[in-house]
Amino acid sequence: MSVVDAGNSGGAVYDRGYRPYEGRRGRRGAATLALVKASIRRALGIRRTWRQKVAPFLLLGVVTIPAIVNVGIGYVTRDSPADGFEILTYRDYVGVSSALLLFVAVVAPDVMCPDRRQRVLPLMFARPMTGTDYVVAKVGAIFSILFAFSFLPQVVLFLGNMLVSDAAIDYFTGHLDVLWKVPLAIVVLAVYYAVIGVAVAALTDRRVIAGASIIGLFLVTSITSGIVVGNFESGGGSAAAVVNVLALPIYLRDIIFLGHIDPDSPLGGVANGGLLACGVYATVLVAASASLLARYRWVER
Amino acid sequence: MVDAGPLLRLTGLTKRYPAVTALDGLTLEVPRGRVGLIGANGAGKTTMFRMLLGLTQPSEGHIEVCGLDVAKDPIGVRSRLGYMPEHDCLPLDQTAADVVSTFGELSGLPARAARQRASDILDLVGLDEARFRPIGGFSTGMRQRAKLAQALVGGPELVLLDEPTAGLDPLGREEMLALVARLGTFGISVLMATHLLDDVQQVCDHVVMIDGGRLVVAGATQSLLEGTGTLTVEVGPRGTELVDALARIGLSASSVDGTVEIQTNGDDHFDVVRDTVADLGLPLYRLSTRLTSLDEVFLRHAGTAP
Amino acid sequence: MSQPSPPLPPPCTDPAFAADPTVDVREVSVWFGAKVALSELSCSFGAGVTGLLGPNGAGKTTLMRAVVGLTGVNQGAITVEGLNPRHDRSVHRAMAIVPEDEAVPAGLTARQFVRYVADLHRVTDRQAPDQALDEVGMLDAADRHVAGFSKGMRQRTKIAAALVKNPRVLVLDEPLNGADPVQRVHLIDLFKRLGDQGRTVIVSSHVLNEVERMADRVIVLMHGRLAAAGDRRAIRDAMDDRPRHVFVRSDDDRGLAAALLGLESVAGVTIDSIRKGLVIQTLQARDVATALPRLARSSSVRLLEVRALDDSLESLFRELVR
Repeated sequence: MSVVDAGNSGGAVYDRGYRPYEGRRGRRGAATLALVKASIRRALGIRRTWRQKVAPFLLLGVVTIPAIVNVGIGYVTRDSPADGFEILTYRDYVGVSSALLLFVAVVAPDVMCPDRRQRVLPLMFARPMTGTDYVVAKVGAIFSILFAFSFLPQVVLFLGNMLVSDAAIDYFTGHLDVLWKVPLAIVVLAVYYAVIGVAVAALTDRRVIAGASIIGLFLVTSITSGIVVGNFESGGGSAAAVVNVLALPIYLRDIIFLGHIDPDSPLGGVANGGLLACGVYATVLVAASASLLARYRWVER
Repeated sequence: MVDAGPLLRLTGLTKRYPAVTALDGLTLEVPRGRVGLIGANGAGKTTMFRMLLGLTQPSEGHIEVCGLDVAKDPIGVRSRLGYMPEHDCLPLDQTAADVVSTFGELSGLPARAARQRASDILDLVGLDEARFRPIGGFSTGMRQRAKLAQALVGGPELVLLDEPTAGLDPLGREEMLALVARLGTFGISVLMATHLLDDVQQVCDHVVMIDGGRLVVAGATQSLLEGTGTLTVEVGPRGTELVDALARIGLSASSVDGTVEIQTNGDDHFDVVRDTVADLGLPLYRLSTRLTSLDEVFLRHAGTAP
Repeated sequence: MSQPSPPLPPPCTDPAFAADPTVDVREVSVWFGAKVALSELSCSFGAGVTGLLGPNGAGKTTLMRAVVGLTGVNQGAITVEGLNPRHDRSVHRAMAIVPEDEAVPAGLTARQFVRYVADLHRVTDRQAPDQALDEVGMLDAADRHVAGFSKGMRQRTKIAAALVKNPRVLVLDEPLNGADPVQRVHLIDLFKRLGDQGRTVIVSSHVLNEVERMADRVIVLMHGRLAAAGDRRAIRDAMDDRPRHVFVRSDDDRGLAAALLGLESVAGVTIDSIRKGLVIQTLQARDVATALPRLARSSSVRLLEVRALDDSLESLFRELVR
């Protein structure tokens, strides 16, 4: 800043020109974190018009409604003989609702495709980040949102149940396992859908195509698997159930909550079903991650 | 701590692709300041930018940017660079203030500092009033300026500009060039890649010309334009009278397309010519020893490369 | 639909009208909804190269599209060789436009694209595509795919596609965009040659010093209206209420400045510290030019450089816009 003194008392002109930045400057970690935050803001429509906020928050509402309903019924029936009545188990609630699927299909493309379509990616080149950082940040952003949106309803359910039960403290101590099972199951779910959603969305620059592809991928595999497995009875499932990419995390959820595959599920009764499910889960994650990293390999030899 | 060394140091820089050799044994040092990069016949310009950003590895040779070796510390180099691509690249549904401050954060600035700097930089590029409007509604000139703002917000040492005046009408072009010129006074170096030699001449202190991947010429703009050894004079339709009068004094002159060219080898010829013109009562419309444009420099040197 | 052409243009002294016009624009207005793109514009174009200039949004693209019949006019009439370009098929064959935007079909090589356009326009000469590609310097790259081209190469391919039908009227919107300096020189020469061959070439560009080199005449549009027309030096002279600027570098700027201020024809002298010389403002450029060497001699000042700052289209433009 240069100051021109008028010579007499009380007059000076300050140069409003450019001031070099002298402050703190982060590197890769800071840049990556900033990208996570910016992507979350974008997905949730923060700092944009209210119209962009409708879809995500509407879906959040839809996903939370069962919890509220359950708590409400629990409250209404608290004095009636049907004690311990729960429409909704925590295990059930860590589920795959169409709302969640829709949510991924809306949010993942919104976070990936515009950067490509509007050719914003080159602006990332002059930032202290690599292609890998970019991918990690995007997946991290979707994961955070999915986790939050799945976890919040669970919190509502738990607190609600706690409050309408006869003795809140007893309820709490009696359901301690829920406190680690639910977050873990949700993490398993959220990571899975985040990576797949982002990987599919990264393949195209049009949001509509990406969203349709995500939904399509899940539906087609789900239906195919259903056809192949066919009608089954408890304990009479088939290994083909793992083709159902959409529902794969469910089996892991069951392992977390029950310690083993649910016999009633399409995978029930399959030898080493649990191991199979975990194996396929890991494979899908690795494949999707590899596809992502390859797509965003910025440096050419 | 700003390194006082050269802006760029290229040593034997070569990049070979299957179909074409984009850069071939480039060796030069470029000082800090405003530098124009002119490329012809090939992918030289794009390749050069990609290499500076560490996105492309050289087949041979080294690059140093602001004292850092790009191969060893690409992230370090990138944090000192700003980049303004040629194409549209800003999200259209966000406001200018939001976009520029987000990119400030992406450059590693803390959120509050990013917001403050975004505001300052937008003011600097003349988008102060339009700051809170979505970029989708901006004219071409405004978008170019927003692009420049995004490149400056991180406090770079060097800004890479790719055809910054593309798509701008003559007035917009003047404004953009004035902005670029000011960057030099802020201590920010500029590497401007363009096809327009005129832009470079107006704004850049230093010029690098590449043709077919090879260095054609590099040097300070002023020195490239100087000294042809010929004095060029325009006096209107009576030029031949001047030629004759000079011949009588012993100066070799000829009339070319209404312009009189005089072979000189000394400074006192200026005065002789001046006096001769004055004696003849001719109007002195033009007097010059320099090449008047980089176009002429380019044409003299280029075409010699393959 | 279109009104009958009004009678022949006024005598050729009006620089907005070419001496032997091919393209005639008469009282043309074009609007798109509430936006008026052209407003009662009258001018004409003849053989040779005419530069079409103006700020963005001045109506240049609309005028070019209307001339080749891609857009209709709401009022007035455009005729090309006496025919209406919007309706008459026969005159379409004689015209070609190279627009600014990038639309070239993917998956084709340059040669395939130009041949395709040739077939589309039923060009019988089998050599025409290669000749056109050669004219623009794309013959070597003719078998490469357009999708992999740089902007400059794509532009030149589009120009070749326009040339292949041997048009008598050629309209080009920013044709040098993306071309590197060597290509620019070739293209400028090409356009000049085409103009010399008697074709009507209309070129719009923002790079004024290149328009200077190509075009004999310029037409300047602003806000959909005609702002200036004719030879650029003549236009500048017509603006005789605006002072000329002459730059002078000497070995004693202040001494010379003091002497110059004694001249009546000098309106002002500025000391330019960036260019390191004097800038003389005058309404009588010739008087100042004649007095300058005399004054310098009598003040013992050595003149090192003298040049007019307004000779370019750039400065003309700046003055027009003020």
